[in-house]
Amino acid sequence: MVAVGDMLVGYATDGGVRKRGASGGLVTAVLAAALEKGLVENVVVMKHINEFEAVPIITDDVEVVLASTGSLHSVPVNLAKYAVGRKVAMPAKPCDAQAVIEQAKRGMIDLDNTYVVGLNCGGSMHPVTTKKMLVEMYDIDPEDVIGEEIEKGKLIFKTKDGNEKGIAIDELEEAGFGRRDSCRYCTIKIPVNADLACGNWGVIGDLAGSATFCQVMNDKGVRLLENAIEAGRIEVQPASEKAIAIREKVNTAMVNLGNTLEGKILTEIPDEARIQYYLDQMANCIDCGACKEVCPVCACGEDSKCTMFHSLVDDYSMSMYHLVRLLHLSDSCIACGQCSDVCPSDIPITILQSRFAIPAQRKREYTPGMNVDETPPFFEVILK
Amino acid sequence: MVEKEWEPKIVAFCCNWCSYGGADTAGMGRFQQPASTRVIRVMCSGRIDPLHVFNAFLEGADAVLVTGCHIGDCHYVNGNEKTEVRYKFLEDMLQQLGLEPERLHLNWISASEGERFAHFIRDVTAKVKELGPSPLKPAGVS
Amino acid sequence: MKEMIYQTVCPGCNMGCGLYIRENDEGTVAIDFMKSSPANLGKLCRFGMQLPHHYSKATSMVDGVESSIDDAIQAASTKLKGAKDVAMLSVGATTSEEHLAFTKVADALGTVVNTGMGTYAELPPECHATVGHGIPLEDVEQASKIALFIDPYTQYPLIVRRLLAAKRSGASIIAVGPKEIKLADETKHIGPDQYESELGLDSESLIIADVHPHSDPEHVKHLLNLALMTGARIMFMKPFVDSTGVHLLSRGTGQKGLQEIMDGINEGSIKTLVTLDSDPIELMPNGVEDILKKLDNLVVISSRNSPVTRLAQIVIGTEPLYAKAGSFMNVEGQMLKNSGSSSIGIDALSTLAQNLGGKAFDCQGLHTQVLENVVKEYTGPKYKKLSCEMMETAPEEGKGNLINVYNPFMWFDQPDDNDFVMVNMNTVKSLGLRKGGMIALTSNGGTLKIRYAVAEVPDGLMLTNKKLPITTGTCTVVTAEGC
Repeated sequence: MVAVGDMLVGYATDGGVRKRGASGGLVTAVLAAALEKGLVENVVVMKHINEFEAVPIITDDVEVVLASTGSLHSVPVNLAKYAVGRKVAMPAKPCDAQAVIEQAKRGMIDLDNTYVVGLNCGGSMHPVTTKKMLVEMYDIDPEDVIGEEIEKGKLIFKTKDGNEKGIAIDELEEAGFGRRDSCRYCTIKIPVNADLACGNWGVIGDLAGSATFCQVMNDKGVRLLENAIEAGRIEVQPASEKAIAIREKVNTAMVNLGNTLEGKILTEIPDEARIQYYLDQMANCIDCGACKEVCPVCACGEDSKCTMFHSLVDDYSMSMYHLVRLLHLSDSCIACGQCSDVCPSDIPITILQSRFAIPAQRKREYTPGMNVDETPPFFEVILK
Repeated sequence: MVEKEWEPKIVAFCCNWCSYGGADTAGMGRFQQPASTRVIRVMCSGRIDPLHVFNAFLEGADAVLVTGCHIGDCHYVNGNEKTEVRYKFLEDMLQQLGLEPERLHLNWISASEGERFAHFIRDVTAKVKELGPSPLKPAGVS
Repeated sequence: MKEMIYQTVCPGCNMGCGLYIRENDEGTVAIDFMKSSPANLGKLCRFGMQLPHHYSKATSMVDGVESSIDDAIQAASTKLKGAKDVAMLSVGATTSEEHLAFTKVADALGTVVNTGMGTYAELPPECHATVGHGIPLEDVEQASKIALFIDPYTQYPLIVRRLLAAKRSGASIIAVGPKEIKLADETKHIGPDQYESELGLDSESLIIADVHPHSDPEHVKHLLNLALMTGARIMFMKPFVDSTGVHLLSRGTGQKGLQEIMDGINEGSIKTLVTLDSDPIELMPNGVEDILKKLDNLVVISSRNSPVTRLAQIVIGTEPLYAKAGSFMNVEGQMLKNSGSSSIGIDALSTLAQNLGGKAFDCQGLHTQVLENVVKEYTGPKYKKLSCEMMETAPEEGKGNLINVYNPFMWFDQPDDNDFVMVNMNTVKSLGLRKGGMIALTSNGGTLKIRYAVAEVPDGLMLTNKKLPITTGTCTVVTAEGC
């Protein structure tokens, strides 16, 4: 049947799901089948509110899974924390899958009972910025948008009247719009750390737009696919050499772009300007604690050192809370960007974290979230 | 009025079994060392979390010293190996933050190395005096 | 395991920050971020992040015994029928629809609903539109000069990012107030007689101040004059989720301030008090429990348990704020809707109104009326220069002024890590205070030992972000000692 390492192209057998889902509805069908056949008790899906808003829900209703939304590039949410303490199947961008594995390393998620259906990701955008971009750069009323996609480096919006308009992502990002900062320097575009790695890169010919490329990463991936095939929910066929090559090519281009942009976003700071830079960046923190709440890698809960050693009464020049988080996350920050999204003072926390985390991780040749058996460097010395 | 020369405030974390003994030996041996060091005794250098070092700097320390037993001699077998792992993160972090590297030191000192301890303190105090007060000092702390 | 997810608005202040509330079947509540919400982009301040500690299940009670809501409504109807000297209070901490429903109960009782904003009563009616009207938050980012009369970090934190964006576009920001504001180019400690000369405002400028139940009407008058004389736009931030909505709904009614109501109860001219999601014990500085005990009747309608629900004879417990069907109007004048559909509160008020001789109503009908009340356009200041008094400034020799900095935690007397006073370094040194230690403050209300933090405030001033047992008002005269 299906084996680890298989490169397949597949789609949902239900015409409606296939049409509505992002490129063929394979992921939706696989999740529905996992629930249907009792592989899991619940599924995490995004409930559609409008083109720019969706909220993660945990459901045990197959119909809800089948009706769930496809890829929404303007809804930047990390799903890992919704899987904590539960037996779920879930869709996952590479950063979602990284966070799931980091939570598993910390004993918060049981990977054996969590099925992760990975999704390729070129980057997500902030909804309010996107709406502004539509007005200013596309001359489109956000209310008229019925769909969007990224193709060949262009962000394309489809409107009610049947028209489409695409602008190169580079151009958008030069103008201050486009993807979130952390997405721009991310270099993990294919979720090889998930159970299945799905996406529309490498789907060519007649199947373009109505099928999903799917790489089987491990035994759980095999189980997911075989389960869905048995349930009659999906059909798969091997991917052609050409398709595999195209997928690899797109990935390489995206990763190279990520590497280039890293230098542009994580700008060099002259040594003598460093302290002032950090003092300025953190000056307007209002102590809301949102960055810790939303961090998908954090697992300390309420009794954490960052909060225990920090008090509003402190007269310090820098916040202990931030210094402890910068240190404690330097081995595990996955630069998912959630902290920057939720900061009420617009502090680019992800960029600050990355300035410490990227050198620390590279020095130790460690990438968080890729393999649950890799111990985070902070825990390196353990008495056997 | 003659203005007193500025004395740096140096915080030294010393482990109970080795480096604290070393500090003691330095005192008993009457070795010359400046009086600017505040010693904090911990049972093992492995108890020191880098956040204690941050706290020391934020409270007004001009330099922080992390000391303990020589590798292999730790009373708790490998506590100091953990210190080493953490110290490497801390070092990189303070460098990234822009704090002068001379303000943070790691030194393994045994209980009998009194002169070495005194020499270390003299050395660090001189360097820090030259550097001046820490940029992270809160208002009101000299 | 079922989860209800509500789209709602944070009740901390009138910014109108959107968020999700996730409620599981055990009743545990968690917040989630609604990133497409225009006022705040999903971001929340410290109060918003701690909302699970703010909401609580409200219990209906009759004479201290838990009862069903229907019994409580019947008991309330009996008590209120023919009640004399009634005062009704709703500060705007619930939906516009419920507030409107409350006014219909007031109609049946022959009285009005007070919002507790005494300032409006002290201002000529031509000013009310200017005080009640706000500007789009995006316009804050476009102003070229901003005069700040609030502490944005503590009082209305989600405005900080708007001010920072304004700065990035080249705006200059001057703060006027007791505390040095980090993001301001300059913080001035000046009196109202110097506002015009020192601030250099013009028609491209923006004044950001606030108005709340304890505001000094004289100061508001000075600010209105400043706006008029310089041509600057002015926006008054407000403390409750529907402050702007209830202001619109109470246009044209004679309003009593909170202090006036408490005085009325104290001297016996008010014998019955009916409140809607408004707890005088939380809202007033200390000592009002004894005053409330003087009432013949205290009827509380509330969506959460709070100190006054323990004191009241009758409590009508309604659904939590986030579950209500209804809308709010934020400081920008934007109408924000809850996604919830529960109408327990409105139905209770409808039954109460009917029992008192009024007509029934429902949420849909109320919402239509709320929509009709929305002011379409603000056309600029319609008042002439106001005459106002000078305000006292400096504290007495040897004493200090302890000033309340009103913020969401203070309005709801919500426990937080903010139990300390802010004093300047001179005070620390002159009192010989120990680093990390405490300061002892004595007022007419007693003595208190409390932690202190060093902040840039003028000599003789102390600030607190938390309601303290020794405070007797917005400004409490204290003597300070080391300990």
